[in-house]
Amino acid sequence: MGERGTIRIESLTRTYGRVVALDGVDLEVRAGELMTLVGPSGSGKSTMLRLIAGLDRPERGRILVDGQDVSRVPPHRRSVAMVFQDYALYPHLTVLGNLLFGLRVRRVRRDEAERRARSAAERLGLADLLDRYPDQVSGGQRQRVALARALLREPAVYLLDEPLASLDAPLRFATRADLLALHRDLGSTTVHVTHDQAEAMTLGDRVAVLDRGRIRQLGPPQQVYDEPADTFVAGFLGSPPMNLVPGGGLLGGSPGLILGVRPEDLILDADGPIEVSVDAVEALGSESILLTRATDGTRLTVRAAARCGVRPGDTARLRPDPARLHHFDDETGRRR
Amino acid sequence: MTSDRGRKPLTGWAFLAPYAIAVGLLIALPALLNVGYAFTDHTGLTRDPQFVGLSNVRRMFNDGFLLDSVRASAIHLALAVPLRLLAAVGLGLLLAAPRPGGRWFRAAVYLPTVVPDVALAVLFLWVLNPLYGPLNQLLGLFGHSGFTWLSDPDTARLGVALMLMFPIGEGFLVVLAARRMLDGRLYEAAALEGCGPFGQLRRITLPLLAPVLLLLAVRDTILTLQVNFVPAYILTDGRPANATLYLPVYIFDQAFEFSGFAYGALITTVLMVVTAIVITALLLVVRRWRVLR
Repeated sequence: MGERGTIRIESLTRTYGRVVALDGVDLEVRAGELMTLVGPSGSGKSTMLRLIAGLDRPERGRILVDGQDVSRVPPHRRSVAMVFQDYALYPHLTVLGNLLFGLRVRRVRRDEAERRARSAAERLGLADLLDRYPDQVSGGQRQRVALARALLREPAVYLLDEPLASLDAPLRFATRADLLALHRDLGSTTVHVTHDQAEAMTLGDRVAVLDRGRIRQLGPPQQVYDEPADTFVAGFLGSPPMNLVPGGGLLGGSPGLILGVRPEDLILDADGPIEVSVDAVEALGSESILLTRATDGTRLTVRAAARCGVRPGDTARLRPDPARLHHFDDETGRRR
Repeated sequence: MTSDRGRKPLTGWAFLAPYAIAVGLLIALPALLNVGYAFTDHTGLTRDPQFVGLSNVRRMFNDGFLLDSVRASAIHLALAVPLRLLAAVGLGLLLAAPRPGGRWFRAAVYLPTVVPDVALAVLFLWVLNPLYGPLNQLLGLFGHSGFTWLSDPDTARLGVALMLMFPIGEGFLVVLAARRMLDGRLYEAAALEGCGPFGQLRRITLPLLAPVLLLLAVRDTILTLQVNFVPAYILTDGRPANATLYLPVYIFDQAFEFSGFAYGALITTVLMVVTAIVITALLLVVRRWRVLR
């Protein structure tokens, strides 16, 4: 028996017709960990969440929660709670009704159920909204109702399916911090799915990068960012993505290699070895993104200071930080 | 400027006009005339009908056949509306989920609605035939001797209601469409809480479909009080023992067979009022149950 809240996934496979959603995935989530699954759409991250929840069945492989094989256990016996992307609140029930739904299904005594629902609402700042219907509260409040509903299951594992995707940008930033605080507070295992890499970087203890049904890399976010295991991860994590240049070109190296350098590791330097012409400048306020083209036609993206004085059409010189060059095999794409 | 603003509402009225004129001429005006004729001695052929005060009303209160007719209509309403709703909602929910061959089942459910009333009624004359009708033969398989369907008041009422359980295509389609618009994630969220199929039906599907079900109930109430004319006319002609002498049948008899146009008009007005009362009662009950937000 493992500690409460451990998840072990062994060679999990699920296909939909000809599409392989998950292709023999192994993953272990530690008790109390916040694990982020990130990847482009169709990478299998949501499928993984649905399999852990029991909303779908694997073709092969096993899922163990707390050391117990739950692959054939129905969802409600699994001690997991899920927050759906669009929250899946019952539109015909008030906030209180939504919170009471599961307790009533589980035949918790009425006064006890109400007490627990109110205390969960209190915890998430919903106490004044209990009589409102879901379409009468804001997006952020709906998300908190969904969280409160998950809380009431008192599960070993929380599954969050893009919980911030339906919120607008400022709210997403604030809610991200709230979510992290709640996770620390509860101390329970959480698996969080997102396609937003900022979320993946800030929210997870560890992040698993998925692509086409396989885990490409697993590790703490900063480590994955600093040492991407292959060109896919290098290109996916980081915005703008890493510059990838064939070996023997601008960034040196030998043929048979792909060299990568992050935009922030290309430094504007009048004595730099690479001469580029600037195609466009994206001024983001706090920084500028320069879209440049070297003399041999290679495009390089550069992250520069906000008022760096470079304009479209200018010529500039760049110096890559030699300590921060990444080497990949050009056939397998793996890091070397 | 002002003329522009003045023209806007007129455009709306102009578009509405053809329909409004038709409704006025073909429905509202005849309905009003009908109320007027109810207090005359019009036979349907009279050139100059005379106002006779409340004499038709007095006749109505002493009309034993009318009492039979009201009772037949009330029993039919209580029998047919729930049965038709149950069939439409049950089949709609059952066939909403995509499944192999589903489209054939859906087409099969809709098909009787396309069949003309008269044809369906003639078909049911055969279905309900006590000697060689398939229904009695089916009952025979279970060791039952069968019924003399249309010769016994109780089974005749049931027979007509049975026939009307088949043309339910519109209600079926509405339920099907409404069910398909419900968010599948609600059901997944419920499954995570341990809510089984019947719990989901009771706690999610029916409450969310309540507005649609209410609409269907109101529509079916109006329809059931009025469109039972054809089956009753062909299957039983109001018999046996006036068990299927529904109000439309009685009105037709009075107005066109017995040359009592004015009396028929009066009963028609009564039918309208009864329909309004039933629907008001229905809406009051629904408000009481709080199935609508």
